[in-house]
Amino acid sequence: MPRQVLEDTLTADSIAADTALAASGDASAFERLYRTHVARVHSLVRRMLDGDEADDVTQDVFIRAWQKLSTFRGESAFGTWLHRLAVNVVLARRKTVGMERGRFLADDAPLDNASGKPVTLELSMDFEEALARLPEGARQVFVLHDVEGYRHEEIARMLGVVPGTSKSQLHHARMALRRHLER
Amino acid sequence: MNDLWTNRLSEYIDGELDHTERAALEAHLATCGHCYATLADLRQVVARAKTLEDREPTRDLWAGIRAGLTTDAPIPLRRDRLVRRRFSLTVGQLLAACLALVLLSGGGVWVALGSRGQQSGDAEKQSPPTRPGIRNASERWRVQSDMAIAELQDALSLNEGNLDTATVRIVRQNLAVIDRAISQAQHALRRDPGNTYLNLHLAETMRQKIELLRRANALASES
Repeated sequence: MPRQVLEDTLTADSIAADTALAASGDASAFERLYRTHVARVHSLVRRMLDGDEADDVTQDVFIRAWQKLSTFRGESAFGTWLHRLAVNVVLARRKTVGMERGRFLADDAPLDNASGKPVTLELSMDFEEALARLPEGARQVFVLHDVEGYRHEEIARMLGVVPGTSKSQLHHARMALRRHLER
Repeated sequence: MNDLWTNRLSEYIDGELDHTERAALEAHLATCGHCYATLADLRQVVARAKTLEDREPTRDLWAGIRAGLTTDAPIPLRRDRLVRRRFSLTVGQLLAACLALVLLSGGGVWVALGSRGQQSGDAEKQSPPTRPGIRNASERWRVQSDMAIAELQDALSLNEGNLDTATVRIVRQNLAVIDRAISQAQHALRRDPGNTYLNLHLAETMRQKIELLRRANALASES
């Protein structure tokens, strides 16, 4: 068996063991889980919300994960479970701060008419910066679909919109971002 | 520029157009340089999104999280949520798992040891040693697993009164099978510590034990 496969298996088993330990109250095991997953969670949060909220929301995600560990059934990988929890926390945050559907664009509204940040993206921006400047709704659909791999039906359910709106938002986001590809 | 078609390009990329729409759009693309170029750009955006790299936060957030854990400690194994409803595991599923474990563990170790025995001395010399890093990780993982198993077994001994006797019996039978498999793998590893298959087999068997204990505890807590 290739050694890389063995290492991956041991890593997965190590995460499973740490998850079991953390579920039984071991904070050190939970810290190891945090260190393994923080980059992915923080990047998701940072892309979905304003950057200055990312640290607080990331901390909130891990605290909630700790509280909910007893509900983790092991039917998916811990990382997948944590990631879904992070999406839920971000979306709940979005509702809390009143960014609900009011900031969602109507199906065919151009990005430039959206409330929130202007979409006059500088050509010199890198892709992440350009992504951060998209209006909230388009940015979240783009992150969930193109970065995280969710389907339109799932995104529509999560955001409380119809799948057609999700598709339209995604297209507008891609059209805005295409001008900012590093060439 | 044809907005009608341009607005469908993302759906085209994502494979969401039906056959008729796809054929019509492809016919348009063959004659429209603008849409063709836009399509190429959009494909690059999609590809770029998949290569975004995750970044650590600029400061370590653990201290704040750790502080939150003290005030909102988890409820290990949900012992406080025990209710009186009795719950039975699916006997068929557990028996099937039991049989599978017997066959897999016994057969696996037999194959590993048997094939080992048939190898010549030269072949044994050619067997690649496990890297120290892997072995250390494996040992560290085993220590962690042993601790998790001990805690889960303690919890189960407290909670198993909530399971019916048939379920408890089957859980114990499965645990005995797993323990035999672990013992066999450990015995085999003492003779051949660098055997990759045996290391993996032991890791997988311990993982199964943790999973069985965790599920049994969860059922007992819900019962």
